[in-house]
Amino acid sequence: MQDHSQTAVLIIGAGPAGLSAAISLKKQRPDLDVVVIDKAAGPGNHNLSGAVLEPGALTRLLDPVDANWAESEQAKSVLLSKVSRDDVMFFWGKSLAFKIEPAIRAAKMLKMSFGQMGHHGDYICSAAKLTAWLCKIAADLGVEVMHGFAAQDILWDESRHEAIGVKLVDQGLNKERHPERNYLAGEVIRAKTVLIAEGCDGLLAEKFITKAGLVRQGNQLYSLGVKELIRVSNEQYALFGAGRVVHAMGYPIWTPAIGPAVFGGGIMYPMGPNQIAVGMIVGLDYKYKDFNPQDALTLFKQHRWVRRFIADGTVVEAGAKMIPEGGSYALPRHAETGSIGRSNVLLLGDSAGFVNMCKIKGLHNAIESGIAAAGAIVEGLDTPLGLARVYTKRLEQAGVIREMETAKNFRQTVARFGPLQGMPLSVLGKWLPQFKVEPDFKAMTGATYRLRPAVRFDKDTFTALAATEHREEQPCHLEIIDESICRDECAGKYGAPCITFCPAGVYESIQGQLKAANPSNCLHCKTCQRKCPFDNIRWTVPEPTGGPRYKSM
Amino acid sequence: MTHIIVLVKQVPDVSQITDNAFDPKTGNLIRTRLASVINELDAEALAFAHTMQSLMSARGKIVALTMGPPMAAEVLRYSLSRCADAAILLTDRALGGADTWATANPLAYAIRKIRKELFDSSDDYYIVAGMQSVDGDTAQVPAQIAAELQVPCVAYATEVNKTDGELTFTRIISGGSQVVRPLKKPAVITVAKYEYPLFASFARSRGAAKMQVIQWSAADVNASAVGVAGSKTRVIRVFPPGKTNRKCQELKSVAELARVIKEQLKTNAEKGHNGELNKHTYRLPDRRESLLDRSFEGTDKEIEEYHLLAQKLKALNIDDAASVNASIVDKLMADGNDFHKKTLEDMVAGLNVVKPEYTGEVWVMAEVIDGRLHEATFELVGKARELADSLSSRVGVVLVGHAVRGLGSELIAAGADRVYLVEDPLLAEFDPVSYSKAAADVFGQYKPQILLYAATPQGRVLAPMVSYQVGCGLTADCTGLEIRDSSRKGQVGILMQTRPALGGNVMATICTKDSPCQMATARPGVMKRLPPDTNRKGQIIEHKVVLSEANLSIQILKTEKAHGKVQFDSDVIISGGKGMQNRDSYDRLLDTLCESVRQRCGVRVEKGATRTAVEQGFAERIRQVGQTGTAVGPKLYVAIGISGAIQHMIGVANTEMIVAINTDPHAPILRQCDYYVIGGAETVVPELAGLLNNSKD
Repeated sequence: MQDHSQTAVLIIGAGPAGLSAAISLKKQRPDLDVVVIDKAAGPGNHNLSGAVLEPGALTRLLDPVDANWAESEQAKSVLLSKVSRDDVMFFWGKSLAFKIEPAIRAAKMLKMSFGQMGHHGDYICSAAKLTAWLCKIAADLGVEVMHGFAAQDILWDESRHEAIGVKLVDQGLNKERHPERNYLAGEVIRAKTVLIAEGCDGLLAEKFITKAGLVRQGNQLYSLGVKELIRVSNEQYALFGAGRVVHAMGYPIWTPAIGPAVFGGGIMYPMGPNQIAVGMIVGLDYKYKDFNPQDALTLFKQHRWVRRFIADGTVVEAGAKMIPEGGSYALPRHAETGSIGRSNVLLLGDSAGFVNMCKIKGLHNAIESGIAAAGAIVEGLDTPLGLARVYTKRLEQAGVIREMETAKNFRQTVARFGPLQGMPLSVLGKWLPQFKVEPDFKAMTGATYRLRPAVRFDKDTFTALAATEHREEQPCHLEIIDESICRDECAGKYGAPCITFCPAGVYESIQGQLKAANPSNCLHCKTCQRKCPFDNIRWTVPEPTGGPRYKSM
Repeated sequence: MTHIIVLVKQVPDVSQITDNAFDPKTGNLIRTRLASVINELDAEALAFAHTMQSLMSARGKIVALTMGPPMAAEVLRYSLSRCADAAILLTDRALGGADTWATANPLAYAIRKIRKELFDSSDDYYIVAGMQSVDGDTAQVPAQIAAELQVPCVAYATEVNKTDGELTFTRIISGGSQVVRPLKKPAVITVAKYEYPLFASFARSRGAAKMQVIQWSAADVNASAVGVAGSKTRVIRVFPPGKTNRKCQELKSVAELARVIKEQLKTNAEKGHNGELNKHTYRLPDRRESLLDRSFEGTDKEIEEYHLLAQKLKALNIDDAASVNASIVDKLMADGNDFHKKTLEDMVAGLNVVKPEYTGEVWVMAEVIDGRLHEATFELVGKARELADSLSSRVGVVLVGHAVRGLGSELIAAGADRVYLVEDPLLAEFDPVSYSKAAADVFGQYKPQILLYAATPQGRVLAPMVSYQVGCGLTADCTGLEIRDSSRKGQVGILMQTRPALGGNVMATICTKDSPCQMATARPGVMKRLPPDTNRKGQIIEHKVVLSEANLSIQILKTEKAHGKVQFDSDVIISGGKGMQNRDSYDRLLDTLCESVRQRCGVRVEKGATRTAVEQGFAERIRQVGQTGTAVGPKLYVAIGISGAIQHMIGVANTEMIVAINTDPHAPILRQCDYYVIGGAETVVPELAGLLNNSKD
């Protein structure tokens, strides 16, 4: 009988990166066992993005599978429309709005890095739906896409410097970590090749980086995106237009000279019949101890320019996710070879950090990295060069690395100098020297965010609209390393910012002690472990099938 | 080697019902809008089977069996991913539309085939199933399978252990629990609760995805009753449940809550509790004033058409059967396009039917616990009285047991005309096999037209076994029983059996077909008992049944009745749920509040608990209120830290006023109560007790 606990290729994470690798590989080598595991309950459940997708990478992925893929019903239902109108706005205060596309166009002509921020011809789509569709394509090719399995650790052979496989999370422990009757110890899956495609701030990715001795030139920087899908009237949707995307800087998170000064901005994308996605993306290097990204979303929604499209609409779905923004400098590479991965383990998509901040896009690179990984496995079968090095070479050939280089320093400049000086300086982009940028959590200060929406943000409804749930009787998956820090230092100095910034309202102060009181509301965004000002929180993996159940995010 | 067959079922996920799952026009649930999942209790049955297997010295196979459309294979993959070694899908268009009878029958035949082909014709196996499915809620199929296979049935199991090398099962009985052992194998075990559903194993899931599920058709198992044709009940109509008339009002302070409680107990002090008498709304044709005075039951369209016909006939001044004939049909057809000709012919022919479809008495199966009659028996006798009066018939009660003759007079006082007494020392304890043999025997001799059982743990096992033996359809858990004429063809004097389904999200009216008698179980606490009348006269008829040890199927090893008496007929019941946190809080807080209400309002007060609270050890089993506990109907029900699961709420449906105290502003109970306060028990209860103690009025 076949040993089902081992496979040739194991892919951690059924997102765009992992599935692209699986599809491309299985198409080229149908004989190989390719298994994709994902902690979500079903396809696309943990995938959230804007999203605007550059079509090139997807075309390169799917053309070999089916030359007519673009004509399929599913393609049409996922790739909603092409961008025909691309508004880049600057909001000044609650009601003024200026279009700044001319500046972008000028930058493009001058070949400045942020001239890349144009979306004409790109697809507007939901990452959750895109992922569900890729799952289906992969499964049809014979890839074993298995949801409801969460990896907890990578098994690393120290002497041979390669991975043996992964260990899944234990299930059936009670809150006190005692095994219940249905306890199932985490199984070990052995694999010849492991592709880590867990998404942003991956649990296995970070463990692997440490174990395998990969280093980042600069710290990874993160943003948090909070997003709502709003059902609007026919008139509002027609007014907005099915092919228009809006990116807005300025109010409520950045007002030059008088503040506040948070990197990021708002987005508005049409999402099919009468639905508009409205989101707010904020750099986690913000300094305000009482800043709630969701409050910024509320203020953005109330801006006069935005309001007319969504007033009286109904929020039908919501979610939150982090974005890795460090770019080129933050790519984890092996110290000697420079490979993005090591020996039989590769880092894909957001797990590596292939987000281009000048384009504010990463989906195309995620897919491209999947294709590169598949190519490397196929090639690596008969080449002496290590798999990780072949993969890295292929990323270079595919232009992913080059594209990342052009956006180099953009995010770091802003982090270092703040949006006011940083944005113009970043025009110099790749010619600037590398800055030393601290991790996001160190940016926290005692300063306060002076804008306040009239009504406190309703985090309960937000999590309900993300349809998030976990088995209640499991150990809390959010670990507070030293509770006394929360009580004795953070409470007085910053007033426990995690209570405010966690989009799911996981943290609460109970009789003076901070607790991860509602772990079952967790949206798996991991902001807490990156923004706790004392670096005092660790996100560990809960039992699989827990977490949000995004449908159209 | 001992094998286990686990019966699993794919059901709509009623826990995820959203607003758009209901048709905005009709209010009906659109089943296709719901995701499909494994029935929760079947997932628990699978875990239970896994535990049984781990206790066995010679472990055999676990085989998962389901009947359903091809997509039901998903629940088999679920089973294979966890512990099943083989999976069988019984699928065929011919099997569709089946009621419990035509479900149990092919499943039983499939089990015979499994025994032959997978177990080498060995009888060393168990059949394990969830007690009931969330969509049907009938709990009938496992017991009917036991009847078809003529094997023991241990219902409502919650635990399995090994004693002297044999598996023993703990099961829920009314007011307690029992440890039993089936006397032979195979045996059917139904699982009431086993909250350790297995997790999917990676290796097993991978194997399951590649494994071939064995598919059998109706012909493969050669069953005797399948599909719509083989069913013995028919759904007349499905309709949305009436909007709850509970007020669902939030009280902002505990003081308001105290006021509401005092008010409720004051205004009710004078009112009789069980006083209302049922009106006889149905009359047989020979007692009707007019030909057109008929109470029909059918779909909305059918009823509408009947009213239209009645109107037209009235307009033509036709009101006697003789003038309703074929010429009328032509006349009406010429009159316009209101009817299909066939429909009209059927309806006109129906008007001429005056003979009732069924004849015989209206019977109730009595339930005896600890030498006393179960409250639900009296409720059913009250209902049977009403039904018998409209059918001009008699009420009979079947009283089975040992040394129970003395209870006959109580039954007569409660409304019975005849008591059929079956006494035997072997009937001292309830055993589904011996009891169903006794009941079937007395049934065979006197042939009643209706037989009602209480939907108690005992009744829900006995009813399907008796009905299956005598070849009769059965409707479970009815909340409404009425006599009506049925459908266009004008069947007269039919028992319309109305019950909730899909976790209470829809109501269905069902009638029996192709059966000698109409049988139903009725939810305790819903029907009203009549005030006892000791002057009533009745007859006690002894019936002898030949029984031997061979008719016993279960050995009772231990019975645990919760000590002390619980008076669930009290005016006020104060119940605690999972939210009570621990036994200490449960006792301390509930005792305090009970005492205050008792003192202040001068009423009888009793403590209750949810199933979870009992499982967690906060309270004894006897205090459990709900579907697997006791159904109650006090003047005031105070639910503290109770989420409001449907299984609990149907046990308090007959309550006059429900008050909830809960910390969770989204708890379902808040939509099913009259008043609620958001707050923790630890703060609200002492304050409420204090306010009641100190109030002057």
